Amino acid sequence: MNYQTTPLRRALAGDYAIGLMPATARRRFEALLLDDAALRVELGHWQAALASLTGTLPERPVPDHVWEGIQARIEPQVLHLPAKKPLWMNLRLWAAAFGIVIAVLVGVLYQRDLGVEYNATLVAANQQPALQIKAFADHLQVEPLALAALEPTRDLELWAIQPGGKPISLGLVPTAGRGRIQLSPAQQALLAAPLTLAVSLEPRGGSPTGQPTGPVLYQGQLASL
Amino acid sequence: MNGTHAQPGLPSACHRLHVQSHRPVARAWRSPISTSDADPLRPLLAQCALGNRQAFETLYRTVSPRLHGVALRFMGRPDLAEEVLQEAFVRIWYNASRYEAHLAAPMTWMVNITRNLAIDQLRKRREQPLADGQQDALLDDGPSTFEQLDSEREARALNRCLDTLDGMQRQSITVAYFQGLSCSELADHLAAPLGSVKSWIRRGMERLRRCLES
Repeated sequence: MNYQTTPLRRALAGDYAIGLMPATARRRFEALLLDDAALRVELGHWQAALASLTGTLPERPVPDHVWEGIQARIEPQVLHLPAKKPLWMNLRLWAAAFGIVIAVLVGVLYQRDLGVEYNATLVAANQQPALQIKAFADHLQVEPLALAALEPTRDLELWAIQPGGKPISLGLVPTAGRGRIQLSPAQQALLAAPLTLAVSLEPRGGSPTGQPTGPVLYQGQLASL
Repeated sequence: MNGTHAQPGLPSACHRLHVQSHRPVARAWRSPISTSDADPLRPLLAQCALGNRQAFETLYRTVSPRLHGVALRFMGRPDLAEEVLQEAFVRIWYNASRYEAHLAAPMTWMVNITRNLAIDQLRKRREQPLADGQQDALLDDGPSTFEQLDSEREARALNRCLDTLDGMQRQSITVAYFQGLSCSELADHLAAPLGSVKSWIRRGMERLRRCLES
């Protein structure tokens, strides 16, 4: 069908403007309009002309509820919120929130080792437990049990020793023996295999050579939990 | 002009024309509604397009009585007219950015939105079978079409041109406009043969067009 003939375009625009088209024809005409600016102009003329049929209709005052309905439609959240929530509902919400907090706290307290993958207790030469080490995915948690006093010019350094391998530094033991040692991905990979952990006495800042330079004070096996 | 030629692209429209013509489409239309740039509704619509609620409320206060009158003319019942009016303003708000100033004056655009919604509702209601009493109520509702035509024919340019039409041409176009009737529904409504109704519409629109262009 050739929609480009002038009389047809005029006639269709006129039909559409009056409202004579059935639904299918209306939709097809609307599809034509999308791509055809000239047709939109033609239709605009007809619509403007026919709209003047309404020009002498009397104005009618509008009841307030119409405006309220419009506001509710364009901003539903404003009108649908209750002005004030009942107190009991707030109390119940608070009680529920409080209960959750308690449950989480209890869970944390009773499962402090949550996430611990390996565990090691390092002992001194006299087999006295000296240092507790828990291995997590990306860090070690160190807790002192019975550490010897340390001169201020010294540091303790933690080493991982694979069977038949050289010691690999895991980092300095935190001051006073308590704290966290962050692990690099390479160090994390080490912990997957059976290991001996050892703590050596080093100059402040750790071994200057990359290998233990002082005596090994504590050692122990890293065991899977 | 051959008014009976089959036109498969747009079935059931009153016009099934298939003729060649080389007359240009563009021509000077008389504009019965002001499209002046000074129209104060224009900046209000532009602000609505930007999401300005204050401008929307001002627009509402300014034009809602007019659109309410339009909706009531179409729907004939205050409750239905209010529903249409509310929906029309929701659409005006959400579609303000799609208003094209070069195609229509703001009031024309808003009247058309209101009218389209009203006609949609009228069509839906026509599709629902009515109880016996309701049918009678509709027929008795409000002033007759002829009385309404007389009161509405005051509008300026279009109505000057409508006056040049034959009675049935004028009535066909006006009834179709205010009731959203298809040609066959219009034929039923006017108790006239379908061919006659098509002819009235086609000749009426052609004459109207020539008058509006003059």
